[in-house]
Amino acid sequence: MTIAPAELRARIAADYQPVRPLRSPWARTLWILPLAIVALFAASIAFNVRQDATDLGWLGVWGLSIAQSVMGLLVVGAALRESIPGRDWSRGGIALWLAIPIVTVVGVTLTSWEASPVFLRAGWWLVGGICFAGSAATALPVVAFASILAARAYPTRPAVAGALLGMGAGLMADAGWRIFCHFSEPAHVLSAHLAAVVMSTMIGALVAVRLCGLRGEKHALHEPVGAGENHGD
Amino acid sequence: MAEDHRLRELMREYQSGRFEAFDEIYASIAPAVRRYLLSQARDAAKADDLVQETFLQMHRARHTYDPSFPLMPWTMAIARHVWLMDRRTLSRRPWAPDDVAAMDLPVKAEAASFADRVEVRRALGKVAPARRAAVIQHHVLGFSFKEIAERAGIAETAAKLRSSRGMQQLRALLKGQDK
Repeated sequence: MTIAPAELRARIAADYQPVRPLRSPWARTLWILPLAIVALFAASIAFNVRQDATDLGWLGVWGLSIAQSVMGLLVVGAALRESIPGRDWSRGGIALWLAIPIVTVVGVTLTSWEASPVFLRAGWWLVGGICFAGSAATALPVVAFASILAARAYPTRPAVAGALLGMGAGLMADAGWRIFCHFSEPAHVLSAHLAAVVMSTMIGALVAVRLCGLRGEKHALHEPVGAGENHGD
Repeated sequence: MAEDHRLRELMREYQSGRFEAFDEIYASIAPAVRRYLLSQARDAAKADDLVQETFLQMHRARHTYDPSFPLMPWTMAIARHVWLMDRRTLSRRPWAPDDVAAMDLPVKAEAASFADRVEVRRALGKVAPARRAAVIQHHVLGFSFKEIAERAGIAETAAKLRSSRGMQQLRALLKGQDK
């Protein structure tokens, strides 16, 4: 019979206490819901609802944004699932989770553009910069909180988990920002708004890697546990 | 199937406070974990170390195990992570072996003009350890002085000094062997 080495057993015994298993990733995603709601309403409360709201209608303004925000929550859920050992996504799964949000943004953009085409004729860089910065900044609290949730699990690929949660946060933030920004011209939305989602994805990956690096330093892998000691195999 | 249920139950007990369940879990899955790590590391002693590290990480991540899923995929994901982290750590660790004779030294530049690799190795073994480390890291492994300084926790000028004094000592030793 294989017996646990005494030193390993002693180290684990010294640190042992009962734990409560983490809730399922999808249940934990609901903890993000309050922040998602804040991200959805922030821009329209701080500034205003888009000027073409009457042309777009309730579904065009709020309906599409709520759908995009829900998609963002799902992507964060996928990130939290990725953070659990043995439940990580396949390459195809990751590609799908990264592609669906982009398709969502493109779809929402084209739908808005068709219903209410508003060109951005002047101040291209200024307006683009404001939309990019505002959207990316709105995503930051969601990225921070979701990263903490992910790091509390045990992501074996923190960059992947972080990229997914960053993308989900970016989607939620953009869902709120589009309620304020009435320029539906695809060139503006697919550059400034989508760039904010991409930026949020990169920030998510960096934050998750850093947080997991800190966890790794705390639980250093290379404190030898009786190197080569009697393994009873 | 019965084994899977037993392992899930053991892990549930381990999570909820029965420490003795650890021994049973270890006895049941350590051989499989070791086989996997041995197939990766191809070194029995290394695999044994990594098995222990895997169980340590399993203990630290025990709250992430959901007993409604099989235990082995969770365990193997942690084992794979431990293996990859070990590889990454080793590739980043500054390296200056004490056993210079065992090194496969690509003799280049100045050293190429000296007698032969064996003599260079022998002479390097006599150079003071801190200087030897700087010489090897700079002239053999190609690190910059800035990188050497960061790794050793010293100033860049000190790293340069160590390397140049190491080379001086090496030259002197090799000249001494020629005579």
